[in-house]
Amino acid sequence: MVDAVTYDVVQITLLSLYVSGSATILGSLIGVPLGAAVGLKEFGGKGLLKTITYTMYGFPPVISGLFIYYIFSRAGPLGDFGILFTPTAMILAQTLLVIPLVAGVTITSVSEVDKNIKNTVLSLGASDRQATFTVIKEAWVGVITAVMIGFGRAIAEVGAAYMVGGNIEGKTRILTTSIMLETRMGHFGYAIGLGVVLLIVACGVFLFMRWLQERELL
Amino acid sequence: MKDKSPLVGIIVLAIVMILLMGSVAIQPGRQRLTLATTTSAYDSGLLEKILPNFESKYDCIVDVIAVGSGQTMEIGKNGDADVLLVHSPASEKQFVKDGYGTSRTLVAYNQFVIVGPESDPAGVSQAVNATDAFKRIYQNGTEGNAIFVSRGDLSGTHTKEKSIWVKAGLNVSTFSNTWYLSTGQGMGAVLDITEQQTNKGYTLSDEATYYTRRETGIIPHLEILNQGDPLLYNQYSVIPVNPDRWPSVNATLATDFVNWITSPEIQNMIGNFTDAYGHKLFVPNAGPGSVAETHTLSSQFQAVIAIRTD
Repeated sequence: MVDAVTYDVVQITLLSLYVSGSATILGSLIGVPLGAAVGLKEFGGKGLLKTITYTMYGFPPVISGLFIYYIFSRAGPLGDFGILFTPTAMILAQTLLVIPLVAGVTITSVSEVDKNIKNTVLSLGASDRQATFTVIKEAWVGVITAVMIGFGRAIAEVGAAYMVGGNIEGKTRILTTSIMLETRMGHFGYAIGLGVVLLIVACGVFLFMRWLQERELL
Repeated sequence: MKDKSPLVGIIVLAIVMILLMGSVAIQPGRQRLTLATTTSAYDSGLLEKILPNFESKYDCIVDVIAVGSGQTMEIGKNGDADVLLVHSPASEKQFVKDGYGTSRTLVAYNQFVIVGPESDPAGVSQAVNATDAFKRIYQNGTEGNAIFVSRGDLSGTHTKEKSIWVKAGLNVSTFSNTWYLSTGQGMGAVLDITEQQTNKGYTLSDEATYYTRRETGIIPHLEILNQGDPLLYNQYSVIPVNPDRWPSVNATLATDFVNWITSPEIQNMIGNFTDAYGHKLFVPNAGPGSVAETHTLSSQFQAVIAIRTD
């Protein structure tokens, strides 16, 4: 097997986990409360907001990358932070993709929870925030599903990561951008191998989450 | 999952820490030079071979971003890189003229080749030069015997292809998509598509990408049918991004890079570089007078500038 370009597969795997994991955590911390709030409240335009959220499931990752690029480019408003072509930019771009996904699935999950539960808790003296937390706990399986789907979206995406990360060896090269590089260079076998590594890693993450669930830590 | 109110503050803190970690350099303390180049330059493996020399000489790390030519120039215009290594002479000249780059210095050239099926229905191998070859492809294309696959992405390769059609007196916009396929893809993918046009497919490719795909068995039916015409030379040049425009660029290190890559030692390395299959790909041509263009503002303060056209 020939490679004109060499790099450390372990390093890029860890970086993939770091970038996509962070994006999932950040995206979920924003998406879950957002989804719960939208799912539980009744307000004008709720239907429209839900439709927009679900539409964003199909938001092209490259566009998210372009958006982050324009903001953090030297020519852009936040260029002085020097975030472009660093893992931070990749995390932000992926977070934008995770948020609508997590929010949308959370909306669906909390809507399934019996409305009486929220009313009961409120009538027992709970604050609005505490009541929301209670409903989230009831919809917990759905919320975890939302987070897992969000992680799936993040770990598999390549357009945004390539755009704002630059696929710099040792700095912003992750599994998906490596697959793109290897495919472009014609090393199809190697590309597939990296794809298998990615699937194993994703499987590991989900197994770990299942393990936590079984021990009631999640 | 238990009550999470007290954890919120901790989690927020953790997130901030995580984000900060992400932007910290892997090796803090060492200078970094951001080099934006094209995918064909990067994929040839040349940079991986020569850059360690620069990194140790100047005690720095070079971050290489490899994207399509158009994107590389955009990155340069936005000041997101310190120096560019590209191969689109017309765009480069405009880039420097518009004040985005300080200067344009020739580095080396490699060659484009016209590839096609062994059966060569268009008789490209008998063509006397690249222009003649393209005329033959056009002739046979319109008759249904040949198909030309184009990059269609404004890359250096695509720009070169378009210039050959112009030289042949042909108007690309009149080409029917029954024989002229504009794909908007990278060189490797275009070669793959050409291979699939059994006994008909022709394309313009750089040598490095062709050899890689040929030797790894992906394009077993494509042969080099025509090469050597100076029109097919693919000139690489190095352009530092203008610090007057973008003060945040590492102008000193960028200038060092230009001097380094045109130095006799490195020019020698470039000339001796072979790909994984033993092919020498590059002809270094950064001789005296190879500074081809200089940004108009600072040219007022220059004694003599040697201009070379190509």
